Amino acid sequence: MRPLDIAYMWDLVPVIAGYVPLTLFMALVSMVAALVLAALLAIVRVLKIPVLDRVVAVFISFFRGTPLLVQLFLFYYGLPQMLTFLTTIDGVTAAIFGLTMHFSAYMAESIRGAILGVDRSQWEAAQSIGMTQSQLLRRIVLPQAARTAAPTLMNYFIDMIKGTSLAFTLGVTEMMGAAQKEAAGSFLYLEAFLVVALFYWAIVETLSVGQRRMERHLGKAVAR
Amino acid sequence: MRKTILSAILALGAFTAPALSETIRVGMSGGYFPFTFTRADELQGFEVDLMRAIAEETGDEVEFVTMSFSGLIGALDSGRIDTVANQITITPDREAKFVFTQPYVYDGAQVVVKAGNEDEITGPESLKGRSVAVNLGSNFEELLRNLPYADEIDIRTYESNIEQDTALGRVDAFVMDRVSSAQVIKESPLPLALAGQPFDEIRNALPFRDDEAGNALRDRVDAAITTLKENGTLAEISEKWLDADVTKPLAEAD
Repeated sequence: MRPLDIAYMWDLVPVIAGYVPLTLFMALVSMVAALVLAALLAIVRVLKIPVLDRVVAVFISFFRGTPLLVQLFLFYYGLPQMLTFLTTIDGVTAAIFGLTMHFSAYMAESIRGAILGVDRSQWEAAQSIGMTQSQLLRRIVLPQAARTAAPTLMNYFIDMIKGTSLAFTLGVTEMMGAAQKEAAGSFLYLEAFLVVALFYWAIVETLSVGQRRMERHLGKAVAR
Repeated sequence: MRKTILSAILALGAFTAPALSETIRVGMSGGYFPFTFTRADELQGFEVDLMRAIAEETGDEVEFVTMSFSGLIGALDSGRIDTVANQITITPDREAKFVFTQPYVYDGAQVVVKAGNEDEITGPESLKGRSVAVNLGSNFEELLRNLPYADEIDIRTYESNIEQDTALGRVDAFVMDRVSSAQVIKESPLPLALAGQPFDEIRNALPFRDDEAGNALRDRVDAAITTLKENGTLAEISEKWLDADVTKPLAEAD
């Protein structure tokens, strides 16, 4: 048994910290884009819009049914063989695109579930006072669905943050890529991976505090 | 209509394909000591120095792109990088697809074991019935599979960290080039030992896409390598990182 090289770990902290903004950037942009896309997909499915509904079903099935790594490779290395212009897309953009597509498929399903979970009487009440379908969705259904969906969506966001670690396969040096390269130079695998694990953990914990606040806020209307 | 869209896409593709790139985009793993690795966030190693010296000769800029090893050839093929500097060995399969410069490293394949096992495993013949780690997509995998008794070897491909898994005893040995193996044993804290003599000559060179721009760039880089060999720079880089000159054919070096 050898002791942990604490001094080395300490030296790694500023190195890994330098990559935190990139990881957060990729996760945040993907999250916002995925939320918007997922909400649209869910609405298409709930309202059973003809044709579109079938397209969305296939989209969700594909992006839930194949691993994120496969999707990233397919898009980044595979498709450019046919569509050359895709090579102009850089790794960060491709990673964001992949994360967005992948997680929007999951999120669409949890948003759909949350929408369907809103009691039927709410729809009927809104319709009885003459609200249009879009008003009904925007003012009555989605705010209630948001509250139900929030914890699962937050879980997907956490997954997304960790999913950014795959970006290294697309040539983006993010936190995990940086740790891997440092470990390859020092052979102190335990120290390097421990430091990066602690970083991810700290980020997710910080977000969990935010999540608890958000849930309190969303739950205000029904709090007793 | 469809034709228009198609030709627009094609035109866009042709337009964005790098013609005479003045920035050579070099892909490497950044995780292959001592050829390409990172310390304190600084990319360094034999390949880094080599590419900088080449760029100085050709008058180009060099841009390093690091990604996991398994993505490198795909990135070269799809035009995201112009070459791979990661001890890429010339193989017939690769030659059919890419064009190579002249070799700049001559080396041998080496069996490495956990320290203490080198009396038991003494070379490729003693790998029968054993588990052996190789880097995914590396030529060492192919080399092992071509051994006459390959079906008796449990070959395991890894994305990274074959040294660590051998030291931990998860596999009986790993196969890598002799030069980096020796450096890993010397520089790392891992308990590893060379098992027997190197068993095959390998030649490393830089691959380029087999198109007009790729060939032109290859010729330019190849000329630079000739100069660097003649003026001793290449030998210097080799001595700096490997404590030996591995840039000449093995027969010539003796």
